[in-house]
Order: sequence, then structure tokens, then C-alpha cells
Amino acid sequence: MSRTLHRLKITTTLFAAGLFAQAALAGGAQAQDRKALLEEHSGGTMILSAVSAAGTIDPQVNYTAEFWQIFQMTYDGLVKFKQASRSEGFEIVPDLAEAIPEPEDGGKTYVFKLRKGIKFADGSDVTPEDVVASFQRIFKIHGPTSGSFYNNIVGADKCLADAETCTLEGGVVADDAAGTITFHLMQPDSEFFDKIAVPHASILPAKTEAKDSGTSYIPGTGAYVIESYDPNDKMVLKRNPHFKEWSVAAQPQGFPDEIVYRFGMKEESAINAIQNGQIDWMFDPPPADRLNELGTQYADQVHVNPLAAFWYAPMNTNLAPFDNLKVRQAVNFAIDRNALVNIYGGPVLAQPTCQILPPDFPGHEDSCLYTKDPGTAWSAPDMEKAKQLVEESGTAGQKVTVVAEDTATSRAVGTYLQSVLSELGYDATMQAISPNIQFTYIQNTDNKVQISVSQWFMDYPQASNFLNVLLSCASFTPGSDSSINIAGYCNKDLDKRMAEAMQTAVTDPEAANKMWAKLDKAFMEQAPVAPLFTPKNVDFVSKRVGNFIFSNQFRWVIDQSWVQ
Amino acid sequence: MSDAAAPRQMTETGGDAAAIPARPSQSPWRRAWRILRRDKAAIGAFVVLVLIVAACLAAPIYANDLARTDPFRSTLSGSIVIDGQTRKIMEASTTGLGLGTTPIGPTWHWQYMLGADNQGRDVAARLLYGGRNSLLIATAATLICLVLAAAIGTIAGFFGGWVDMVLSRILEVLWAFPVYLLAISLSIVLLTTEFWIGPFRIGSGSLILPIVIIGIIYVPYIARPVRGRVLSLRHSEFVLAAKGLGIPRWRILLKDILPNVTTTLIVYIPIMMALNIVTESALSFLSIGVQPPDASWGTIIQDGQGLLYTRPMVALAPGIAIVLTVLALNVLGDSVRDAVDPRTKLR
Amino acid sequence: MVFAILQRLAQMLFVLFGISALVFLIFFATPGSDPAARIAGRNAAQETVEAIRKDFGFDRPLPVQYAIMMEKLFVSRDLTSFVNRGLEVVPQVMRAAPITLSLVFGAAVLWVVGSIAVGVLAAMTRDTIIDKGLMILALIGVSMPVFWLGELLNLVSQSRFHDTFLFSWVPGLGYKPFFDGPWLWFKTLVIPWFTLAALYIGIYGRVLRANLVETYQEDYIRTARAKGLSPSRVMIRHALRMSLIPFVTMFGMDFGVLVGGAALLTEVVFGLNGVGRLTYQAMLNLDLPMILATVMYASFFVVVTNALVDILYVVIDPRVRGN
Repeated sequence: MSRTLHRLKITTTLFAAGLFAQAALAGGAQAQDRKALLEEHSGGTMILSAVSAAGTIDPQVNYTAEFWQIFQMTYDGLVKFKQASRSEGFEIVPDLAEAIPEPEDGGKTYVFKLRKGIKFADGSDVTPEDVVASFQRIFKIHGPTSGSFYNNIVGADKCLADAETCTLEGGVVADDAAGTITFHLMQPDSEFFDKIAVPHASILPAKTEAKDSGTSYIPGTGAYVIESYDPNDKMVLKRNPHFKEWSVAAQPQGFPDEIVYRFGMKEESAINAIQNGQIDWMFDPPPADRLNELGTQYADQVHVNPLAAFWYAPMNTNLAPFDNLKVRQAVNFAIDRNALVNIYGGPVLAQPTCQILPPDFPGHEDSCLYTKDPGTAWSAPDMEKAKQLVEESGTAGQKVTVVAEDTATSRAVGTYLQSVLSELGYDATMQAISPNIQFTYIQNTDNKVQISVSQWFMDYPQASNFLNVLLSCASFTPGSDSSINIAGYCNKDLDKRMAEAMQTAVTDPEAANKMWAKLDKAFMEQAPVAPLFTPKNVDFVSKRVGNFIFSNQFRWVIDQSWVQ
Repeated sequence: MSDAAAPRQMTETGGDAAAIPARPSQSPWRRAWRILRRDKAAIGAFVVLVLIVAACLAAPIYANDLARTDPFRSTLSGSIVIDGQTRKIMEASTTGLGLGTTPIGPTWHWQYMLGADNQGRDVAARLLYGGRNSLLIATAATLICLVLAAAIGTIAGFFGGWVDMVLSRILEVLWAFPVYLLAISLSIVLLTTEFWIGPFRIGSGSLILPIVIIGIIYVPYIARPVRGRVLSLRHSEFVLAAKGLGIPRWRILLKDILPNVTTTLIVYIPIMMALNIVTESALSFLSIGVQPPDASWGTIIQDGQGLLYTRPMVALAPGIAIVLTVLALNVLGDSVRDAVDPRTKLR
Repeated sequence: MVFAILQRLAQMLFVLFGISALVFLIFFATPGSDPAARIAGRNAAQETVEAIRKDFGFDRPLPVQYAIMMEKLFVSRDLTSFVNRGLEVVPQVMRAAPITLSLVFGAAVLWVVGSIAVGVLAAMTRDTIIDKGLMILALIGVSMPVFWLGELLNLVSQSRFHDTFLFSWVPGLGYKPFFDGPWLWFKTLVIPWFTLAALYIGIYGRVLRANLVETYQEDYIRTARAKGLSPSRVMIRHALRMSLIPFVTMFGMDFGVLVGGAALLTEVVFGLNGVGRLTYQAMLNLDLPMILATVMYASFFVVVTNALVDILYVVIDPRVRGN
């Protein structure tokens, strides 16, 4: 999901209502209540707004938080993250499959049994053949994660080499008579279910063309269909006429009859429009200038929730001056993380951090090496120590450019870093690049970016999604725009330990998380990045929005809120 | 400003074939100077400009001795004492949910006179430093633009033939490219590239970039009237006569054509500067002009845009500075034109 | 005559070609412009990026890419965006055009009426307080950066005084289609119109006044006045008519440029998704197909109005014909 997403929550007034409906969602005993709620609140048109659309609506191609949130109510995979509040949203539940299968063959084989009677929005039945075709399609359309999430399926290597003839033979096997699909993996994978629970593994009709569908809708199985989509105007979602609720946890019936997602309104105007009740929600974080007003005058319409994410400054470990460990440590010591928290909107909206894994995340153990009194939490910057380290490194006076995104917050963070670097004795400047380009620009070693401002939002709740993705040797490809290890840091020893942790996770997740906690610390000792803060998400909704549920995985569960 | 009209305004009222004096001499300059000295509006505008420039030049004195602040350093924590009261520079909200932080507002004391921006920097001090950059960029870009335009226009007009053909087509291509779009595309390339001109490294933070970009984009608007003027001069009686007398071409160019072109160009200077200040601020507003930590009036407006609701002064102050400067330049421009080229007297 | 027109057409084509080639080259000179990785997505495997590069033809020589893109833009008209995959760019420009047109047209009405009023009034009350006051106002209009004026008006109308009777009628920012309700369309555009027109009222008002004053010195006007015609009659009947000629040519050019997208700052400030904003966004996103489409669109208007103005000149000004 895209990094362009930012903050969210402290539960407030609507919490009570949320709790109630959530309990209702949870299961059978309260089915009656849920039915009553559905009867009472169903209907109406919900209006959402975002500054810009997020590109294609092909669920196997789009890789943004903005639309992954929409795909929750339009598409299904074999399994899915639960549509539930907070950390319950991290739970994986069976969706099109009847149950979560037990691993066979030492974790290399999984057999899914397909639910019966589920139809696509075009009226056709979901069959095992559709599942196989969907997984083939991931490779045929060069899906963004085809080489990183699904390369472990038997036959994936051939598909990656030659997409057009992709069959995944021996990897994904359908049995029409039994209604089952069998997956064969090359290696046991503790994150297999996470990977097939994200929208890229959505099940689509087998006849879907093997090319990015762009702005046209592919029939899905969700509670809603996308009736129209124009990235410069709006997206209209209507109820899926062929939808019959089969799992409240995975794909619940929604409340609004229609959901309109408008694009192009700036944040300031969107805030005004929500205040005036013209729209119901905005995707983008509210501008810093308006936060105080929202927090005081509209407190009961604001929801602040934690995000599994962090803002950080990757330092290019292959370029002066950051090829020197002392300099990287100095930067970590010098940054006043409270100041950055203030830039982001104050202590309620962000939390200082000096480690990579976010709080309450698998593998997270409080630790801070770079603070006045190193221990479990950050307290204050240690400028003396930082200056001393810079002096020892003998790099003072060198030219350093901070590359930030051209958004208000990123620019402010970049400007602050530039100020800190100047104070450390460097000749520092800052450069703000269009958000769309900055992310690939800072990855490519050819651009010789020394230090940048970036964010990382998890795809699924596993420590490897931070540490292994951001800092493994495999994630570093010199000269490529796709080299997510922006620091260019490759440590063979730590790489090996990460592989061990992932191996351990297949059988013993607890032990693995302990290993990840140690790895987190080990990486921070080498300081290839300077973690800055953990952001929170702010959702500002209109007065009429009821039953606000925030899942830590995909954020606000849109269709579980009502507008009447 | 979303316009390409301002320079064209000058081409409309500025010289065309009919207005060419028979032969340049010293007297028009002296006469112009005499007229200018008596022009109250011109003197007023000039005084305003001098005051603005002086204030901007005094920026370090203001920052160091009066405001006692470093306008290029983020001061996100810390506080100042005003009238015996301690006030935080960045105030975190304490009411309601406690969302957001607000920088200190105008204090009307030396420290943080106009308040702070979202980095806790003194806006008044930044305004003065920013003015330096805005004025520097506008002046340098004007010079580049006029020199380039004069060269291209004169060469095209004087030599004619295929030289004219090629130059005119290039100008036409540039002309048909809306100014801001041209500036944006140039900036996007140049901002991410680093290149060397001789020993000078021109990288992202360099002020040379906005200067060059702004200098280039208006060249067609000046070069075309210059070419037109040279073209008509070439066919004028005295040049034809000079040719007839066998005077070499370069001599005609130097003695007859260039002085005439210079008159045209001088008229353009104040108006071009006004236009360039506005252009610079627009580019910086779109964050493709001056880059941090440097400031310019445009970047301060951009900073202020994010604080428009709570601290409108951050955007107001540089805007007023721009309006004042540009207004003074325009008034001066009118007077200069009236003085130099009496035919188009406006007053 | 036919030859002249053909020549003019050839010139226009050349200019359009020049601009498209320029844009194309600028794009490929930009580091980080390679769209393959951006299209492939976050943390994509190298194989995927390579496959995408091949798929989109980014590995082919530049002239070939240029030719293919031009063919898709002008002949098959199915060129799609690099950023919003599957989004056809031509319909996007067509959709943005009416928004820009609404903005520019309304502003044009305002600035023509406003500047004629200012110009005529100032010329008639020459050298009085009214004249001086008007000219200073006009200069202030010229001196205000349009984006700053827009932001200020937003601050006043959307926030500070939005709850008072003065501005409670102002709808939220963004364009509302004319056919969804002309009244709402009008209300959303009033403030953008004023913002955009302020500059031009200043410029045109001043130019018009100067021309009127000048025309007043001409012999035939003196004759008319000597004949005892009333001053206002002379002004409107004779002087204004003559002075409007340069006015019209100026108007033609500015209108063309603005319709082509030069009103981008106004569009950005007021959240109107017009051609200017589309171009600006495309440039920031390095979305080459969209940049090409919008820049071609913009240049087309500039080139055409330029040609029209040139022709107009030939028709009205015999001196130019001589050359």
C-alpha cells in the first residue's frame, strides 16, 4: 500500500457505537442485533473525497492504500484480513475458502476448499478454475508483487521469465469435482496467508483479460461493484446485485446503498466540505493548520488511530559522508524527534521512535540507542555526542543534500533535517521533488542521493515486511529505480539471521519475533536509517457518519459505517 | 500570475516603426533624465524601491542585532520572553483532543515581529533575506533576458535571410509554449540534474537555476519587438543612406542600430523586473524556484499557505512586499517610458 | 493569398512539431523519468520492472518511441497515461477543456467590460483625481501575484468570513458543471473570475486609456470635436472605436494562451481541474503522454491565435503589408 498515506486515532464518542457493532460483527449470538442495525441504517449515499485518484482499479495491479481500502468491499481472496476493529483487523479469516487449511508436507502444501454458491458481479459462479486463472494473471500482467510475494509458488520462476505462457503448473492445482485448489510452495513460508490475503491475490473471473484493466471495472465478488471510474472526477460504487453475505468477518453486507468517491478537491476545501456536511470523509490527512480546530470544535467527528508505519531518513551507506558509521550515528543522536512530532501535529498524532519496527507490531521490543540516556524510550537529542562523532569522522564541512517529497509535511521534515545537518557542521541543502517521482528517485543509486525523507507502511503484519524488505541485500539493486533498500545497506551476517528468523516463523512465530527484536536492534547499531516517528492516522468524518470502525490493517472499514 | 500579457502590453505601446527618431544623439537621454527628475510619481517609486532594497540589504543586521535569531535554523522547541511573559515558539494544542501545533503569531516586538513559520523561524527576518533573493533573481534574470533578446533580435532582424528564418522559428516554438509550463518543465529537469559550467557546479540549491529559467522564458517576448524594430530600422532612410555611402555593416550595426535598440531595452528594464519578481514568486510558490534553506518571497508565501487559517501573516507579509515592489517598479517603468519615448506618453 | 495561408499552416505545423520534440527530449533528459519502476510498483522485482519496460516499449530508440506516441495521440487517439494506467489522455483533455473555458470566458467578459469602463472613464477624466485613482488601482491589479490574491480571497470567503452574510453563499472549492445547475456553476466561478480578471483589467484599462488619449490628439478627432460633437459622443463613436483595434489583438492572444492552460495558477488555487492544472499535474508526475497531450493542446491555441492576430494585422495595418 502506498506510502503516500499518512496518519489516524484516539477513540472518542463514536467508540460506544463502534464497540456495539463490532461485537455484532463478531458473531452468531448478536446476529439479530446486526440485522436490526442493517435494517435501521441501510441506504443513502456516502460521499468520500481524495485529492487525487490512485490510478488503475485493477486489484491485481493497484498498490496503494487509497484503493486497497476500496478493494476490501469489492473483491475477495481465498483468505482475507478480518473486517474488524483495531488489531483484530490483523487476523486472517477464510473468505472464498471454507476454512484456513492446515499446512501439509512441512508447510509446502495447502489445500483450500472453495465455498459454494458465491457469484461474481456478472452473475457467473466462482470456480476453482477462476482461482488458478487469477494466480496466473498476477504474472501475466507483471503484477507489482509477482516477483516478491508470489515467486515462491512452484512454477513461478517460469512465469516470471516468460509471462505469456504462464501456467503455474504444479503450483496451483484445481480439482473441480472436489471444489478444491491445492498450492505447492518451493519453500515453507510463514507469510503465505498474509500474501494471499492482500488484494493482489483477489479472485477474478477466469475470462478476465490478461492486461491491466486501467479504469474499467473487473467483476468481483464483494458487496459493492464499481459502477464508474474517472480518475479526474469520481468513482461510483453500487451494491452488488449478486452478493449474498457468506462471512461477516470477511465480506460483510454494507450499510450505504451507494458510495461516491470524488477526486480533485484539496485538503483545505475537503475539511470545509466535511464541516458543512457536503461530504462524509476525506482520505488525505487534514492539513496541520486545521488540526487544532478539528480537535476542539469537531472532537466527536475525529478518529485518531495508530498506524503500522514509520517516517525515516534512509542514509546512503555507500556515499560520503554517510558511508561512515559515526556520521550515521551522529545524525541519529542529533535529531530532536519531539520537534518532528510537533511538525507532524503534536504528541497525539505521532510518537518519537528510534527503532525500525513500530509499536505493537510483531517483533517490536521498546529500545532506543540514540537518545540522551539510551534505554527503552527516546527522551532528548544528544547534540554533544553527535558533534563529537562528526568530529571523529572528520567529515564536517562536506556538502549534503536532503531529498524530500514536495508535500507540506515531508518538506517540513526535510527542512528540519537540513537544519540539523547544518548544525552538525555540514554544508546542507534541501531539495523537494514531486511525490510521484521522489520515491523511485531516491532508490536509484545513479541519482547519488545522500539522505532522504521517506515513509514505510506495512503490507501485512510481519516483522520481515519492515526489516527484510527495507534492509536486506536482496532489496538493493544498484542502478535500478526499484531498490527499496534505499540506504543501500547490505550486511551478509544480518541477512543470514533474517533468513533464520523467517525459517523459525514457520513453526514458532513467538521465537521468531524474539529474533526479529534482536535484529531490529542490530540494524540500529549500524544505523543505515534514522527512524523519526511513528505517525497516527486522523480520520475526520461528517456528523452523519455512524459506526466508525478502524482496522489496523486496511484502516477505516468504509461500508460498515452508515450515513442514515 | 497566469499571464503572458504583461510583456505584450509593452510591445503594443512600445516603439514601432513610426516612432523611430531620425538619428540617436546624446540629447534624448539628457532630456529623459530631466523629465524623470521632475516626475513626482517616479521619485516616489524610486524612494520606495531604495527603501526596500536597503531593508533587504540590512537583513543580517536585523536578524543578528534586533531580532537575535537565525532565520535559517529550525527552532521547533524553545521559547521567548515577551513583556515578561514566556511564550513557546511552537505551541502544541491543549484543548479538545490536543491535535496540532501552532507557531507563535505576530508579537510586534523585535523578536518574532511577524510571528514564526512552521519551522519556528522568524518570518520578519526571513522576509528580508527572502527579499534579497527575490530582487537578485529578478535583476539578474532581467539582464540575462534583455541581453539574450537583444542579441537574438538584432541578429535576426539585421541579417535577415535564413538566419532570421531559423531564429524566428525557434522563438516561435518558445513563444507557443505557455511561459509557466516552459518554466515548470525546465525546473523539473534542472532541479534533479547537476551540471557544470566550467568550474561552476550548478546543482539543485543554486540560485542560478531560477535566474536562468526566468531569464530564458521571456526572451521571445522581448526579442520579437527588438527584431521588428531592427527590421524597420534596416529599411529606414538613414541606414539605407549609410549603406549607400559604403559604410561597413558592423559599423552601421554598432553606431545606428544598437543605440536605438538600447533605448527600447531600457524602457523594458523596470517592467521586466516587476514581471520577474512575480514570476519568481509563482515558481517558488509551486516549489520549483528557490530551494530551502534559502528563502524568497515566493517560498515564504508557500510556507504561509499551510498556515493560512491560523497564521495568515506568514503569507500576507511577503505578498504585500511583492505588491509594493512590483507597484513601484511599474510606476517607475511608466515614467521611464514616458521620459525616453515621449510618443507613448501616458500621463 | 492561398500560398500565404499554406505557408502559415506549414509554419504552425513546424512549431507544433518543435514543441512536441522539445517536450519529449526534456522528458528523457530528466533523471528518474523512466516510468517502468513507477508503473511496476513499490518494491517490484527486477524481472517485473524489465518486463514492464519491454511491454511499454521503453527499451526502443527515442525516435521510434516518439513516432509511436504521436501516432497514438493524433491518429488512433488511444494514448494512455503512464501514471493512471489505462487512462486515455485525449478524453481527459477534452473533459478539462470546458472547465478552463468556463473560467477564462467569464473572466474575459469581466475584464473586457471592466477595462473598457476603467479606460474610458480615466481617459475622459484625464489628469483628475478619478483618473489617477483608477490608474493606481489598475497598477495594483497588475502588481498582485494571482495565486496570492486567490489565496487571500479563499481565506476571506472560505474561512474568516464564510459564516457572515457576505460570503455564506460561496460554495466549496472545485468546479460544478454548468448543466448540473447554472446558478451553482456561476457561484463557484465568481471569485476565480475576479481573481483572474484583476490583472487583465489593470493591463487593458491602462493600455486603452493610453490609446484613447493618443487617438484624441489625432486630426480627425480634433475635427470631430471642432464640429461640435459632444465629448462623450466623440469618445465612444470615434476614439474608442479606433483604440479598440490593438485591444482586440491583445485580447485574442491572451484569450488563446489562457484557454490553452496558462490560467494554471488560478486553477491550482481554486481547485479547478482545468487544462492548466492537468498540465501542471502531468509535469509534476512526469506523465509523458499527458504532458504531450496538454502541451500540444495549449500550443495549438497559442499558434492559432498568433496566426489570427497576424492576419488581423495585415488586414488593418497597411504598414505591415509593406514589409
